[in-house]
Amino acid sequence: MNDEILLNERVQVIAVFGEGLNPCRPLKFRRPNGREVEITEIGLRHPSTKGKRTVHMFDVTDGGADYRLEFDSERLTWHLTMEADHYE
Amino acid sequence: MRNTYNDGRPLIMHIDLNSCFATVEQQARPMLRGRPVAIVNRRTEHTMIVTASYEAKALGVGLGMSVKEARRLVPELVALESDPAKYRYVYHKMMDIMRSYSAHVTMKSIDEGVIDFHQTSQDVRDRPLEDIGREIKQRLRDEIGVAMRCNVGIATNRFLAKTAASLHKPDGLDVMTHDNLRDVMSTLELRDLTGIAKHNEARLNSVGIYTPLEFLDADVSTLQDVVFKSIVGEQWHQRLRGWEVDDRPHPLKTAGRQYVLESKILSREEILQRLHNLCESVGAKVRSQGKVARGVFVYAKSRDRRYWHARRMASAPFFSDQAIYAQACQLFEKAPQAIKEIGVTCYELSDDSDDQLSLFGDQLAQEKHTASTIDEINSRYGDRTIHSADTLGTGIYVKQKIPFGSTRYL
Repeated sequence: MNDEILLNERVQVIAVFGEGLNPCRPLKFRRPNGREVEITEIGLRHPSTKGKRTVHMFDVTDGGADYRLEFDSERLTWHLTMEADHYE
Repeated sequence: MRNTYNDGRPLIMHIDLNSCFATVEQQARPMLRGRPVAIVNRRTEHTMIVTASYEAKALGVGLGMSVKEARRLVPELVALESDPAKYRYVYHKMMDIMRSYSAHVTMKSIDEGVIDFHQTSQDVRDRPLEDIGREIKQRLRDEIGVAMRCNVGIATNRFLAKTAASLHKPDGLDVMTHDNLRDVMSTLELRDLTGIAKHNEARLNSVGIYTPLEFLDADVSTLQDVVFKSIVGEQWHQRLRGWEVDDRPHPLKTAGRQYVLESKILSREEILQRLHNLCESVGAKVRSQGKVARGVFVYAKSRDRRYWHARRMASAPFFSDQAIYAQACQLFEKAPQAIKEIGVTCYELSDDSDDQLSLFGDQLAQEKHTASTIDEINSRYGDRTIHSADTLGTGIYVKQKIPFGSTRYL
């Protein structure tokens, strides 16, 4: 269908918890292979549930590919669950 | 009944998100902006397109087209599987924004809603509604994302407000009043009017009505006695003149689900498992609205495009997944072979009240307790945490998708 890759990588994230409508903003993440991705735009953030746990889905881009980061608000962990890089 | 045009202040605002699911995906995935995008419910080439982005529509991609067909027209089309959680979030954000202006907000579907400003605060009413419309557009961009666009229509009733919202897609803002009603109608075709599709158009054509203006000028007796042969004719007469006839609740009468089988080589037993899964989902829908059902309807479409259906009314109301499945299963015994699609619907829904004494009171109470406990666990720990062992393994195929018509289950 397209070049969407579903993943389940635990990633390290630098995020800012500030004010406003979107108080949590991931800025950068490092993948297990050491590759660092600088986030240039957060497309959408929406909450979802995994069982009774709330997970925040961040659809982000670095300008070259789109990614989905999932922040588990109970376990305080970040996972990279999707990369789409790109659609040609 | 009023013969004049409604010349009151337009206080109904219709808001419609443009190509909603595709726009939300383009918002979420910035790399997709400006590209032709289609949303589908399944990752196959034969699946139907549910929503197409404006870029895709401009290239000829239409709803209901298969991905394969669409790719013939637009090879670079990006087809994405729908992501209901994302759309539900945007729906709730949109509803929150609308409710900040009036308590009288009605969501018509997952991507459109109506704000009634008649009983809102004076502060809000003192403002021109066009300003509020522009503010809502800006708030959608600020609070959801920069790619979000919506159409806003303002008029004296729901019908004209929706008509106004469809005039300048995408991202339009139009007001229809008694002053410009005829001008706007003269630019439209009958099928542009909500509620006028093939059959109603044919009815109107049969009495020489071919344009919205002719429809508007038709007298009430023609519409009522000749065209629609019911009160519907008078309602159209009022609706077209800007008088409100559509502000009424629509009680839930049926709840159903359908499913296109994922494979052509499923055994009868496997098809029944999928039917069972649908029954569980329909049962949860019925109970979530505090209803009980009296009838079950099942249908099947075969691969040679034949349609089969069967229905049954029960002597007593029922609500549990087991009761629904037991009846659906019995009805399904007469279903044809080579099935492509199945569906089950509960009908004759009524409020669940314990008033009526039953000979089987204890048994019913126990069944109700079990069903509500399962529903509570599923709502807390996630859908299908508890389900029938028979449907084990069907969850990955029969996924919950977006309800287009009703917003009751969002």
